[in-house]
Amino acid sequence: MRTVKKLSGIELSDWQGERVRLEALWKERPVVLVFIRHFG
Amino acid sequence: MRDQVDEIRARGGELVIVGNGSPNFAAAFREDFGLDGPLLVDPELRAYRAAGLRRGRVELLSPRLPRNALRALRSGSRQTGVQGDPWQLGGVFVIRPDWELTYRYTSREAGDHPPVGEILAALERDAEPISEVSATPDAQRWLGRALSRIVDPFIVSSFDRTGFRIHRLAFEAQDLDVDLSDKRCLISGANSGIGYETALALADLGAEVVLLCRNRERGEQAAQQIREQTGNARVFLELLDVSNLDSVRAAAARVSSGPVDVLIHNAGVLPDERFETDDGIELTLATHLVGPFLLTRLLQGNLEKSPDGRVIWVSSGGMYTRRLNLEDPNWSERDYDGVVAYAETKRAQVVLSELWAEALRGSSVVVNAMHPGWADTPSVKSSLPRFHRLTRNILRTPAEGADTVVWLAARLRARQSTGCFFFDREERRTHLLPFTRESEADRRALWELCERLSAEPSR
Repeated sequence: MRTVKKLSGIELSDWQGERVRLEALWKERPVVLVFIRHFG
Repeated sequence: MRDQVDEIRARGGELVIVGNGSPNFAAAFREDFGLDGPLLVDPELRAYRAAGLRRGRVELLSPRLPRNALRALRSGSRQTGVQGDPWQLGGVFVIRPDWELTYRYTSREAGDHPPVGEILAALERDAEPISEVSATPDAQRWLGRALSRIVDPFIVSSFDRTGFRIHRLAFEAQDLDVDLSDKRCLISGANSGIGYETALALADLGAEVVLLCRNRERGEQAAQQIREQTGNARVFLELLDVSNLDSVRAAAARVSSGPVDVLIHNAGVLPDERFETDDGIELTLATHLVGPFLLTRLLQGNLEKSPDGRVIWVSSGGMYTRRLNLEDPNWSERDYDGVVAYAETKRAQVVLSELWAEALRGSSVVVNAMHPGWADTPSVKSSLPRFHRLTRNILRTPAEGADTVVWLAARLRARQSTGCFFFDREERRTHLLPFTRESEADRRALWELCERLSAEPSR
């Protein structure tokens, strides 16, 4: 299964605790999704 | 960092950071780097795993920074540029509104940096999408087939890990580029070895996976591990002792409330001594044949409702040594030999698979059997310690053994074959020796035996 499809359905919290479905991130515009190693 | 965000926005994009910590740390991080864009937290590493930043690499990600690292991050990061460097990362992906991936970068070592220029180029309108799975080159497939012709006549160099590596050259990489999120797959004996690896791979392809296991604790542990490794929450346990017909009926009643697209008969035993189940059936006969027969029958309606139902029998290369034997299948007269009982019932599984394929011909369900080669699984180690000692350096990994099971369950267009026998993704002959061919009468007798032994007792 392709990465984009796999990511699309996942829901994460943003820094204020709001839930974000990942597919919403690239709905309007291209997104640079950066997974960082650290914080926390 | 700020400049890079501006450059991304100038190209119509947005930077989104995903971190593996808590929201508190995220807030601090955001403040520290003056980020005003989205910042997401993924403490369970679900997105990390979906992005392929998992297994080996997850270890790099998961050790949480100690609390005082936050202070170091705040005070020192901009000077040292190490701990808080946002580009010291797990990975970068550029995804467009048309769902195309135009950039992918996964860091291998701490401190790896992707070239920012390439990321910006991937945001341009004319950026080429990355093809994640490319077709296997013809030359490689040709080489794989040519080498296979050399090694396949020799059992050892074909069933062992060298055989897998050679056969793999001819595999079509695109076959497993599938999304199984609309499939529900049931696998018996899924808490270890080949069953576990199959469940793991199918969960990774997005399927809902039901592990059918005898032991609740071991089953739960396996399900939990698969959920963690794949980020797929739809991995469940159902208790089933396939050698016990009451247990088969109870499990079938529970799982049949949902769809069944793939049913994998994988559970196996190789006992030292003759053991009779509560139903009065010898253990290998019950586990490899009667139980799976009944389970298939009870789930037949569900499978037929699936647009693409599949039944897969995990047999064994050991079956090549035996003919289908219906004289004393319950070992009431013969001196017990577990290896013979195993090989005979594994031979019978191949025949039973063909019989089920015939029975279901014309429906949407295909039925196939396979053998995994020689794989280093917990069962081989405990049941065949001498074989394991002798061969352990040439054995396949359980995942290599599971490959053809996964392929049969997941590949597109499975409907072209039913009633076939596979090894390393190729259809194979079911007889290598002249004396193992069975008669038509014996084939019928096998079906009748399974029907008779699995019949509900008249009370």
